[in-house]
Amino acid sequence: MLVILAQVAVSGILLGGVYALISIGLTLIFGVLRVINFAHGEFLMIAMYASFWLFRLYGLDPYVSIGLVVAFLFLVGLVAEFLVIRPILNASSSMQIAATVGLSILLQNFALLTMTANYRSVQTRLSRAVVSAGPLLLGVSRLVAFLVALAITGILFLFLQRSYLGKAIRCTAQDKTAALLMGINTDRVYLVTFAIGSALVGVAGALLTPLYPVFPTVGTYFVLAAFVVVVLGGLGNLTGALLGGFIIGLVEAFSGFYVPELKEAVYFVVFIIVLLIRPTGIFGVVGAEEVGLK
Amino acid sequence: MSSVRSRSMLCSSISVRSLGVLAAIAVVAAALAFLVHDKFYLHVLIMMLLYAAASSAWNIVGGYAGQLSLGHAAFFGIGAYTSTLLFKDLGFSPWVGMLIGATLAAVVAGAIGYPSFRLRGPFFTLVTIAFAEVLRIVTLYAHDLTQGSMGISVPFRPALRNFVFRGLSNYAYVALAFLVITVLVSLWIENSRLGYYLAALREDEDAAHALGINTTRYKLVAVLVSAFFTAMAGTFYAQYIFFIEPFATFSLDFSVLLAMMAIIGGIGTVWGPVAGAFLVTPLQEVLRAKLGGELQGLDLVVYGAVLIVVVILLPQGIVPSIAAWGKRAFGQREPRPASLKGDP
Repeated sequence: MLVILAQVAVSGILLGGVYALISIGLTLIFGVLRVINFAHGEFLMIAMYASFWLFRLYGLDPYVSIGLVVAFLFLVGLVAEFLVIRPILNASSSMQIAATVGLSILLQNFALLTMTANYRSVQTRLSRAVVSAGPLLLGVSRLVAFLVALAITGILFLFLQRSYLGKAIRCTAQDKTAALLMGINTDRVYLVTFAIGSALVGVAGALLTPLYPVFPTVGTYFVLAAFVVVVLGGLGNLTGALLGGFIIGLVEAFSGFYVPELKEAVYFVVFIIVLLIRPTGIFGVVGAEEVGLK
Repeated sequence: MSSVRSRSMLCSSISVRSLGVLAAIAVVAAALAFLVHDKFYLHVLIMMLLYAAASSAWNIVGGYAGQLSLGHAAFFGIGAYTSTLLFKDLGFSPWVGMLIGATLAAVVAGAIGYPSFRLRGPFFTLVTIAFAEVLRIVTLYAHDLTQGSMGISVPFRPALRNFVFRGLSNYAYVALAFLVITVLVSLWIENSRLGYYLAALREDEDAAHALGINTTRYKLVAVLVSAFFTAMAGTFYAQYIFFIEPFATFSLDFSVLLAMMAIIGGIGTVWGPVAGAFLVTPLQEVLRAKLGGELQGLDLVVYGAVLIVVVILLPQGIVPSIAAWGKRAFGQREPRPASLKGDP
């Protein structure tokens, strides 16, 4: 029994890595632009399709083509920011939600139109491979996703702390007017931040392709979990997203073990309770929704 | 002189012009329901009226109170399931079940709204999504009561008492009556003290609070009324489609649709949701039917694009933009209705 519980816990943490990977881009974008991108799941879907087609047409393993997918998503992010996000940055939050929801509907159904509703999956030698650690079994693809989630959070953290651009991003997040006065081109910061957030979900898409089939609405499933994760971790908080991902992964794994039919309800209930008791999230600083990314 | 009087009229009672527009819509819709015999076009008409009513109901809390809910499918589903279960298992007339369901939805809305209203902006929206998802999953799970994902069929026993009709035009008349009721409620709210309180808290909640408006109380009133009428639309849907199941009745897509119709038409206005529903519904139904299996999703691609364009170019929505354009073009010098919308 103990071994089973340990296995469930390990699966939960690995799943949490997947959730964290999807959530980091979402939380970065919110932290800086103060916009919740409801089309984030569709960006994940685009990345998974890109990864799928590179495999199908050119035989590139998703782990090999990841650079191309990330670059593509960076471009998608640039275009989306320029066309959809920039015009609504100063609009009310209702209008911001409406615009990104519109983008989500557009992209999801464009995929339906061009790719049909069929499930498509990539089978590589690694997608079913399993390594054992003592009595526990770990899926290799999940382990990779988990390790990359850790690495990306670390790299992003260093980037924001040390690099010039990272400092400009944090500065803009804290006080846009002051950033402007210091000579920072805040429009460009928003553009780049949104593209980086999209590129991060590109990483997630490439790493998920060996694990999950891709279909037009695949993003909806993951993005709801990602919303839960980022609010739990404190919107705009990168390490919070990582820890939030692990918590939701564990909650889902254990509720899936004990009450399989209600497992999604359990994490939504956790979400509601967190929002009602501590809307800034477990790791969020109180008032962080005004101050932004720390 | 006259401008002063018309403003005071606007504050104290519903304007004659609004009632005239409503009467015109009612006459045209009733005439169409009477004259059109093509089943498909009648279906489009019924869906237009139903969505217009539901989107107007959403607009009471989403527009007037400015609380962007993406969880209204919860109330719609409660209405559909309550009346259907009471009808099927206990033999209640769906008309009675509809009122019970609407009351239940209002109670649930109060229970959800009261703790959630302190959340602002996107946080509120996310919690409404979560509540609706939980309700959907619980409905799926409680299959002893709800038959889970198998869904429930509404028995076909045509009778006025059973809210089941043979002819489609009867459904159109009922949907039209629902629309007239929700529009009248919207008009009443817009011109009442409640409407002004809601406008104040929508524009600046802290300022409204500081002026002594009990913001939580008025948001609660708005969500109770909104949920009540949304649930009635749910009952209508069950009685018209004859089949309900959790994925369709509690879907996030449906919540999104109600909100987006109102936003396209003009959020927080009487005619915005109606215009939005009248524009979007035919587009969807006709494209879907004409294109059939081919080009699946094209209707929603168009709708998503329209939504983005409207939000960016006409952020107030189509109806207020047209009204403003009309005033500019024809130089009407009417006083601006006492809206508190100012520069941000």
